Order: sequence, then C-alpha cells, then structure tokens
Amino acid sequence: MGRNTIRIVPPVLAGVIVLALPLAVRNPTYLHILVLLYLYAYLTTSWNLVGGFAGVLPLGHAAFVGIGAYTSTVLSLQYGISPWIGMIIGGILATIAGVIIGLPTFKMRGAYFALATIAFAEGLRVVVENIDNLGPFRLNGPRGLQIPPLKTGLLNFMFATKEPYYYIILFMLAGVLLLTYVISRSKLGHYLVAGGEEPEAAMALGVNVARAKLTAMAISSFLTAFAGTFWAQFTLYIHPKSVMSLDISFEIAFIALIGGRGSIAGPVLGALLLRPVSDFSRIYFGDKLPGLHLIIFGVVLILVMLYQPRGLQEPLTRAYRSITKKFLGHAEAA
Amino acid sequence: MRFILEDTINGILMGSIYGLAAMGLTVIFGVLKVINFAHGSLLMVGMYVAYWAVILTGLHPYLSLVIVVPVMFLFGYFLQDIIIKPIFKAEKDVREPITVIIVTTGVWYILDNLSLLVFGPQYRNIQDNPLRGKMLEVGGMLLSVPKLWGFFAALLTAGAIYWFFQMTRTGRAIRATSLDREAASLQGINQYKMYNLAVGIGTAVAGIAGVSLVPFYNIFPSVGVLFDIKCFIIVVLGGLGSMGGALLGGMIIGVIEHVGAQFMAATWTEAIVYGIFLVFLFLKPSGLFGVKYEW
Amino acid sequence: MRGKNIWWKAYVCVLAFAFVCSMAFLTDRPALAQPKEVKVGNILPLSGPSASVGQQNRQAQDMAIEEINAAGGIKSLGGAKITLIYADSESKPDKGVAEAERLINTEKVHVLTGCWNSAVTYPTTAVSERYGIPFIVPVSVADKITEQGFKTVFRIAAKDGWWVRDQFAFISDLQKEFNKKLSTLAFVYENGDWGKGMASGWKTLAEKGGYKVVMDEPYPSTQTDMSPLVQKIKRANPDVLLLVSNAADAILITNTMADYKVKPKAIIGSGGGHADPSFLTAAGKNAKYLFDIVEWETDVNKPGAKEINAKFKSKYGYNLAGESVDAYVAMYVMADTLERAKSLDPKAILDALAKTKLTKGPAMIVGYDAIEFDATGQNKYAALVMVQINDIGKGMERISVWPKGARRAGYKPVFPIP
Repeated sequence: MGRNTIRIVPPVLAGVIVLALPLAVRNPTYLHILVLLYLYAYLTTSWNLVGGFAGVLPLGHAAFVGIGAYTSTVLSLQYGISPWIGMIIGGILATIAGVIIGLPTFKMRGAYFALATIAFAEGLRVVVENIDNLGPFRLNGPRGLQIPPLKTGLLNFMFATKEPYYYIILFMLAGVLLLTYVISRSKLGHYLVAGGEEPEAAMALGVNVARAKLTAMAISSFLTAFAGTFWAQFTLYIHPKSVMSLDISFEIAFIALIGGRGSIAGPVLGALLLRPVSDFSRIYFGDKLPGLHLIIFGVVLILVMLYQPRGLQEPLTRAYRSITKKFLGHAEAA
Repeated sequence: MRFILEDTINGILMGSIYGLAAMGLTVIFGVLKVINFAHGSLLMVGMYVAYWAVILTGLHPYLSLVIVVPVMFLFGYFLQDIIIKPIFKAEKDVREPITVIIVTTGVWYILDNLSLLVFGPQYRNIQDNPLRGKMLEVGGMLLSVPKLWGFFAALLTAGAIYWFFQMTRTGRAIRATSLDREAASLQGINQYKMYNLAVGIGTAVAGIAGVSLVPFYNIFPSVGVLFDIKCFIIVVLGGLGSMGGALLGGMIIGVIEHVGAQFMAATWTEAIVYGIFLVFLFLKPSGLFGVKYEW
Repeated sequence: MRGKNIWWKAYVCVLAFAFVCSMAFLTDRPALAQPKEVKVGNILPLSGPSASVGQQNRQAQDMAIEEINAAGGIKSLGGAKITLIYADSESKPDKGVAEAERLINTEKVHVLTGCWNSAVTYPTTAVSERYGIPFIVPVSVADKITEQGFKTVFRIAAKDGWWVRDQFAFISDLQKEFNKKLSTLAFVYENGDWGKGMASGWKTLAEKGGYKVVMDEPYPSTQTDMSPLVQKIKRANPDVLLLVSNAADAILITNTMADYKVKPKAIIGSGGGHADPSFLTAAGKNAKYLFDIVEWETDVNKPGAKEINAKFKSKYGYNLAGESVDAYVAMYVMADTLERAKSLDPKAILDALAKTKLTKGPAMIVGYDAIEFDATGQNKYAALVMVQINDIGKGMERISVWPKGARRAGYKPVFPIP
C-alpha cells in the first residue's frame, strides 16, 4: 500500500458514498435534509472566499441569495425564461451588487464592515418587502412568489422527486470546493491571505489588496446567487423573510466560523455538524421546547469559539493526519 | 405646519430613549472595540427584570431602578468575566477579536430563547403603572408622559456616564485601556477588570433603558431584536464611545421615524434609516462626535 | 500535550455523533404498524411571533380529539383512536413545507391540518397535493389557498374576500340603522400576506361603495412605536378606521390611540390579533366600542356553545376565539369524514370530505348552520359575525351585533364612538 493510495482512499470512498447515498436513503424527508445540508455547505464555501480567505466578516450574504432567487423566479414566471439562464443573470446582478457593496466597505475595519454588510442586506430586504412591482417586474412584496409545479424536466429546473435536486446541489458543491482549492493555490489566493493577515506588508510588496478582495467578493456573490435560484426551484416559494433574512446570513457565517473559515474543508465540516443539530432539535423538541435548537446553536457557538477559535477543522485535520500517519507507518514497516 | 413641530418633539422624546438603549452599547463597543450582538438581548433582560421588579414589589417603575441597575451591572460584569474574557486572553495580539462577535451572537441566541422557554411567548405589559397613558398637553400638542420621563432619564444617564469617564479615576482608567491595552497595563491597570467594569456599566445602562420602556411598551422574548440593529445604527451615527453622540443619534432616528411616517408608510422609514446609516458609514464612519481611529 | 489529546478525541466523538445522526437517515423506519390508529399531522406556529395563537389552536384541537376518542373514536374503523402529531412551523413557510414532507413521509399521517399563517399554508398545501394527502385548513383566510385548483385542500374558515365583503356590508348597514352617513375610510394593516390581501379587497369595495380613502398604510407588525402611525390616523380624521393586526400591534395601536385621543366614528378590526384573548386583557378600557369581525363569538346563540366554551376556559384559562373554534370544528369535520369514509385510504377520505354535509354535533357551535364544501374545497356556509367590545356591567366583553339575526338580545350597538 503506497502512500498515494492511502492519501486517495478516504476522499474517494467519501465520494462514492455520497454519490450512492440516494440509493440507500429512500425517504424524501431525509433526502430533503441532506439537500439542505449540501446547500448550506455550498453557501458557506462560497462565503468562505470572502469571509475566510479575505479575512473580513461579511454578514449580509443573504442579499445575494435573494437576488438570485428573485431574478430567476421573476424571469421564469413572467417571461418564461429557463431558470438556468435566470440563474446566470441573477449571478451577474449579484456580482454587480457585491462589487458596489465591496468598493466602499473593504476600507473599513472589521466590525464596521460587518455592520455595513448587515445594513445593505437588511435595507435590500426592506425595500423588496415594500414594493410590489419594480418597473415591469412583479415582486409581490411580502406575499412572495409561488412557483407553480410546471412540467418537470432539466430545462425547467423542476423535478417531482428529490434525487435530481440532490445530484445538482452535490455537483454545485463539488464545483465550488474545486474552485476554492484552485484559488487557494493561485496568486489570488495568496494575495487574499496576505491581505487579510498583514495588509500593510502585502501592499508594500506591491499586492493590490483592494482588487484581490473585490475579486473574491465578485466570485463569492456570483456563486451565492446560484444557491438562491436552487432554493427557489427546490422550495417553490420565496418571499423576503425566507430568502433574504438576517438569520440566513448569520447561519452561513457561523457555520463557516465553527467549521473553520479560511480552510477548504472547514465550511463543509461546519455544515455537517450544525445542520443536523438544527433540524433534529426542531423535529424532536419543536413542539415541547420551542427555540431549544437555537439555544443549542448558541452554546455550540460559544464553546467552539472559546476553545477552538480557528474552527473545528483544525483538530479534526490533525486527528485525520495522525490516523493516516499511523497507517502509513504500518505500511512502510511491512 | 404645527404637526411637524409636534412630530419632531415626539421624535426627540422617543429618540432619546433609543439613544439611552444605544448608550450602553457605545460604552461596550467603544471600550472593547467589538460588536456586541447580545445588546438587544441585554435590553430584553433589563425589561424583564424591570417588569418583575414592578409586578412583585408594586414599585413605581422608575423606583425599580434601585433593583434593576445593580442586577444588570452584575449580570454584565460576569457575562464579560466568564464568557468573553477567555477569548480576549486567547487573542491578545489581535486588535479586534472577531470571535467575540460570534460569542456574543451565541449569547444573544441563548438569552432570547431561554427567556422564550422560561417566560413564554406572550406579550406582557404593566397595565396599571402610574405612567401608563398619561399625556401632557402643551399648546395643542400631545406629548407622552412616559416618554418624557425617558427623555430625562436619558439626559441624566448621559451626563452621569460622561462625568464618570471624564472625572473619576476608574473611568479614566477604562478609557486608557480602550485606547491602548498594552500601554494601560504598563501603567498598572488590570485591563480585564476594566473590561468587566465597562460591560457591567453598559449592561446597567441597558437596564435603565429597559426601565424607561417598560411603562409603555410590550415585553416579550424577542423584543431585543428590534432594538439591536437600531442601536448599532445609532452608535455609528453618533460616534463610538460618545454619550452625547448616542443621544443625538437616537434622536435623529426618532425624528426620522416620526416625521417621516407622516409623509410615507412606516415601512419605508426603515429603509431610509438604513440608507442614512450606510451614508454615514461611507462618508463619516467616526460618526458625529466620534474620535477618528486610524483604519 | 495531554490536554490536546483529549480535545481531538472529543471532536472525533462529536463528529461521530453527527455522522451517526446522519446515518439514522439510512434506516428508513416504517411507521409503527398499529392497525386502526388515525394519525393526523398538525403544522402550527408553536414558536415565533404567532406562538400564542398557535398554542390556542392546539389546545382547541386537543380538546376536540379528547372528546372524540372518549366517545369511542371512529366507530366505522373499529373504534380507531385519533392521534395528533404537532409540528412547529415557526411561522416560516419553508419550515412548514419541510414539516409537511416529514409528517407525510416519515410519520405517515393520514390527514394534515394547518398552518394558521396564510403564508405558510399556501406553499404547504402544495406538498399535500403532490402526495394526495387530505389537508384541512381550519383558519388561514387567504383567498388563493382554495384557488390553486388543488383537490386535497378543504378550508373551514371563510376566505378573506368574504371578510372584506361582510365588513363593508356592516358599514352600510350601520349607516342605515343609525341614519348617519359615513364617507371617509382609513386602511391600516400589517405588512404581511394577510394584511395586504385584506387591503386590496378593501380598496376594491371602497371604490364600489363610493367611499373616499383618506389613508392606506401598511405597517411592520413588529414596529416598536406606534405613535407616528396613530398621529397620522388622527390627522387623516377618517370616519371609519379599518384595521388588520396581530395581537401585539393591535394592543399597541389601541393603547396609543387612546393616549393620543384618536376617535374615529367607528373602528373595525379583522379578527386575528383583535380576537386574541390577550388583546382584551391588555387593552382593557381602551378597546371599548371597537368592532371586530370574527367567525365566532362566545355569546353565539347555538346549543352547546356556552358549555364547550366553559369547558375550554376552565381547562386553559381563557375563552375560545373564532380561530380556536375553527380548529375545534375542523377536528369534528375530520371525525365525521372518517366515519363516512370507512377507510384510511386517502382517496376515500378525500371523497368523503368533498361530500361533507355536517349539520349536527359539537361542530355546530359555529354561528352558521351547516358545513359543506364547494368544488374548490371552501366551506360555503362559513359566515362571519361582527362584535362590539363593550362593558355592559359584567366587565369588558365581546358582544355579537351583526348580522341582525345574530345580535345579542337587548343590546344596541354604540355608534358613533362617543
């Protein structure tokens, strides 16, 4: 057993399990929970590009989710445009919004940056909640938009069962993870990390920190909008509080923080740990002890930040490495 | 337009109470340099403490300050000491520990939902308190008496806090710590104790704000959420660490809400408030009275 | 070094725990095969801003099912007992949808009910339609819920188009009875699905009736301070103020209006927050003379109404309200349906539901005389009653005033507000 084999086996195994999971999990509710888990992993990984690598704390990403969701929904409901195209357009709009937000805010200190992103996201939500029509586009304010179950099919991004959604989001997640890996190894990635940790030193070396951050923001918002479209097509109903609320922005950020921002596996790990907690406590305790899952969430947040501020991925990767080292040790001795 | 005068005055009154709520935050934010997302929850706790104090003892709401202020001070002090201090210690070199933001959010979630579990979701208010529904008629304008009380409470508190920070030794020590942690500890100041005190004071002020709200407001577990963002906006508007700034910022928001509501639906005034907030963030982040920090 | 060892062991345990939880998904537990038990899924806001009404709905349903089970359950199914399974929607549509999926697929419920918030009910019914599971809507009023062309949705409450219609009919009857003209209207409503739906109905009827609308204002239901809104109402000086509010804002608006001495000739609420028992307790005297439109009131002249209300009050501490009555009645409609369906097959239940013609039994404490569903699943006879809040010697209470036939004997409504 060579070293390379050992290195590859676990990820490949994980990949196979994940691809085959829907064959074993037949219950639509559980598939639904898994889809949402991947969706949040996707969201946090996209967030990670700005929040992790660039070292700032954006707390308004739900705005991009909302832009994506509303764009593709309005276009498909009113003009019959395929949600896939709507997804791309939504992504472009989100990117524009992201750059507009980023330009003035990246100059600010951490806390102020976070507040500014919150203000943008909330301001946008309030505006969308208040207007029924934006020019020719029907947004329907707080009543939201319902997507009627049309003909199913890939073109319409509409499926009767959960499995297609599962694979689509899995594919998106894999894509964004790959992208993160590529960026982390690229010049952009290094500029971001340098700019995040020691901005003055980086600038002294000629790194255009501001441009790097804006690029990261653009990519992040573009990808986040895709999740909005997916959400709209998956739940078939969107309204400002469900796709643009502060809760979503916070949940994304905190999953990444607990898992470990700035790393590739961190956000996924965070989603894996926290989403089941949230779903399970609602299912089991929802009627007897309302709000319990939020208390658990809060406690977990505090504990993790107290003892492992870099996120849980740090000790977990160490554990993983020491386990694989043990195997390698055996292999080489044998 | 006599109405505009009436609205402006009412806006100033309500706004001063917003300012009072924000004052606690500006103390904490200004000294510790971190966003305390739990501030709304602290306000909520203050309101419940005031509520129970009045209900159980039958005291006049403002007399209940005698109970509320020390309770809240201790609550804040130990909150900082037990939960937040360890993070400060761990991130000694980082100028603005981001993890504290996350921890305070955890505190927020826990406090709000714990009070939901313990107190139940129902809206409470103190029906027969001596201030309820009293209005003062001045020249054809109706002014709300409980809000007037709140206005004076806000002014007094602002003055008291200002005096404390400027004139007393402890106050100056806290300010020194906020400006430069290392230098202050070189002077023999225990920085962690200073932080504890600051949070204690900030929480006590939130308690005072709670007391001024309780005579006319509804009390329920998620009441803090409404104030949380508003307080941050006010703190930025007024300038970090400035009591007067918090008061003025609060009044500005109050006036926008009251006067604005006459010209457009209340739902839009919310958007305007966010807009003004963003403008300030971009153009004058130090706010009206804040000290300019180097970015 | 030792400390660190403990930590990573702890994390491995935590991750393993999460993993195990996820693996629990793999074991698709079939619902306990207990023959002859009817499982009913109920999605309600048990936490969040509507938690208190969610709880009231739940209590009413619990009481009904207790009675039904005690009386022998569903006899045509061999005395099968009904089990209620509750799920918290947190007033969020996506949670409602997720819970509907779970109740149908994991708990294998035979019938669904819910969800109080129209915004949650609307998409959730789409879920039950997809699976063909009968969905009884006790309370949510949004017109569109029964206008989606679904075959599985049946609603007990009147749709909001009818509420609006009845409010305006009341306004015109009021003018006739007291020989006073009302010409200006103000619309103040919560900025959500319900409020906006009602308001657009009002606008249409105001035009038809030739009224002048002096104010049309949505407000955020969670607003901290109502005084700017109340000032605006005062200055608009309407003859009639129409309100759509949830409990907390209803209380705040009423109290603030009293503070600022705002007195239109008539104030008409739309149920919901105004009908919540906590409103009367918290607003007290300030709510005097307010009109409210509801599905039901405690003084309705129907046999059994007083007894059932007294039982509910002694159990839970407050009166039944229109919505909790709808929930109670929904349970009896369901029991009656199951008796006629003689089976737990969804198609049989749907068929029996569509043919419902309920005219007797505890369900008939409603103000109207029969429950029957039209082709869209709407209860066609659902009628509303207008009450006035007043103190006629026994403390603040809600007194039925309209339609004339439902008016409490010996009471003349007070109009305009003195």
